[in-house]
Amino acid sequence: MSVYEKIGGDGAVEAAVDIFYRKVLMDDRISDFFDTVDMDRQRAKQKAFLTMAFGGPNNYTGKDMREGHKHLNLTEEHFNAVAENLIATLQELSVPQEYIDEIVGICLSVKDDVLNK
Amino acid sequence: MTVVTYEGAQFPVADGETVLDALLRAGQVVPYGCRAGVCHSCMMSADDAAPVRQAQAGLSDTQKALNYFLSCQCQPASPLEVKVVNAVGEKKLVEVLEKTALSDTVYRLRLAPGLSYRPGQYVNLSRDAKLSRSYSLASLPTDPWLEFHIRHYPDGAFSSWIANELNAGDTLELQGPLGHCIYAAEANQPLLLLGTGTGLAPLWGIAREALAQGHTAPITLVISGRSLDDCYYREELLALAAAHDNVTVTWVLQEGEAAVQVEVADIYQYCKERFPELNGYKIYLCGAKTFVNKLRKQCFFAGAAVRDISTDVFLQAGSL
Ligand code: HEM
Repeated sequence: MSVYEKIGGDGAVEAAVDIFYRKVLMDDRISDFFDTVDMDRQRAKQKAFLTMAFGGPNNYTGKDMREGHKHLNLTEEHFNAVAENLIATLQELSVPQEYIDEIVGICLSVKDDVLNK
Repeated sequence: MTVVTYEGAQFPVADGETVLDALLRAGQVVPYGCRAGVCHSCMMSADDAAPVRQAQAGLSDTQKALNYFLSCQCQPASPLEVKVVNAVGEKKLVEVLEKTALSDTVYRLRLAPGLSYRPGQYVNLSRDAKLSRSYSLASLPTDPWLEFHIRHYPDGAFSSWIANELNAGDTLELQGPLGHCIYAAEANQPLLLLGTGTGLAPLWGIAREALAQGHTAPITLVISGRSLDDCYYREELLALAAAHDNVTVTWVLQEGEAAVQVEVADIYQYCKERFPELNGYKIYLCGAKTFVNKLRKQCFFAGAAVRDISTDVFLQAGSL
């Protein structure tokens, strides 16, 4: 079973997405990447990110991640900021530590693609 | 097997095939992303809700109310017609029933009815092929007219045409409806309606629609303006509040004197102090771009969910 299923599937993503989005917008290190006028669209993107990070249904490949983030010129600091906000969100929702570790593992598995390394 | 109608043409959909795949197979250019029902890039709207209901998981109540669905998740069993979200409809000619000045700068235009819409949506009005502008509906579908509030900018070609030349009995072209700033809330969810200028038009429709549908929770209207002279429909709003226990209206002005239901304050500061906690609220923000964008972020930070914030942004004065 994926972490996605273990923590409650789409319902868990729904519970997390606004909390995560709020944290990201308040984080000066990365807020500029996400501060667009179309918040509905941005929220859907955040959901796509969380669903993927939880190991839920998606058809993204490593190549997609590389292509999708290349133009952003992301650094280690950006990646860490996203990871920290994600962990804080999961802790706020009382997700057990072992699942958080698994989720961080999934994020790390695409880190090189996201940072285009 | 069934068929999907898209941009006037019919396309076969095989059993088990999705609307998105059928359109892509036929070489149509439609936006899409994850193909897993998450990213919403492939969202479309349908003429009928029934065939697309199973493809609405994860959409907001507003989107469902407008028959939006995810084309990558939709395997239709019966024929349906689909559009890219917010594709403009056909143009039609409508007659002007009434033109009234509501203030020094705002005109009320009432047009012949006969449009299917939700209060708070907008339409494009045109004088001719060269000159057209978007305006929000202030009426309810049960009203015997379509109502618009039009601010006259002396340098604005369209609004000057309305103010100086258009008369009752004339016709103009209408295209729509468009937009998704509509009433879609639980009856017991508190509503906060914030507007500037003619941002009151969609709010006036949404508030009355909420009441018509039996909304029970508080409906709080806040109108922001420079001075009281700027604010039209004062009596109508006061009458609405007087007639309904759950409705309150406050004007927040930049200048003038405070009075009953009138405050002189910075609107952003006012909202911060008056509404520090917006978790669970359904919020409508209508008016100028900076006003809407600033308050949207502010409301989100105060705990409102993204999906519970609906907005209607007006173009800059310069372009009207
Ligand atoms: C943990 C690793 C990450 C994963 C798994 C991930 C995943 C995703 C996904 C699934 C999308 C949506 C792609 C689509 O449009 O279909 C996306 C878009 C995006 N990501 Fe990431 N991401 C990661 C890290 C980051 C980081 C560190 C940043 C920057 C701080 C970032 C910034 C963005 C931006 C700006 C978009 C585009 C949003 C838009 O189109 O408006 N991502 N990401």
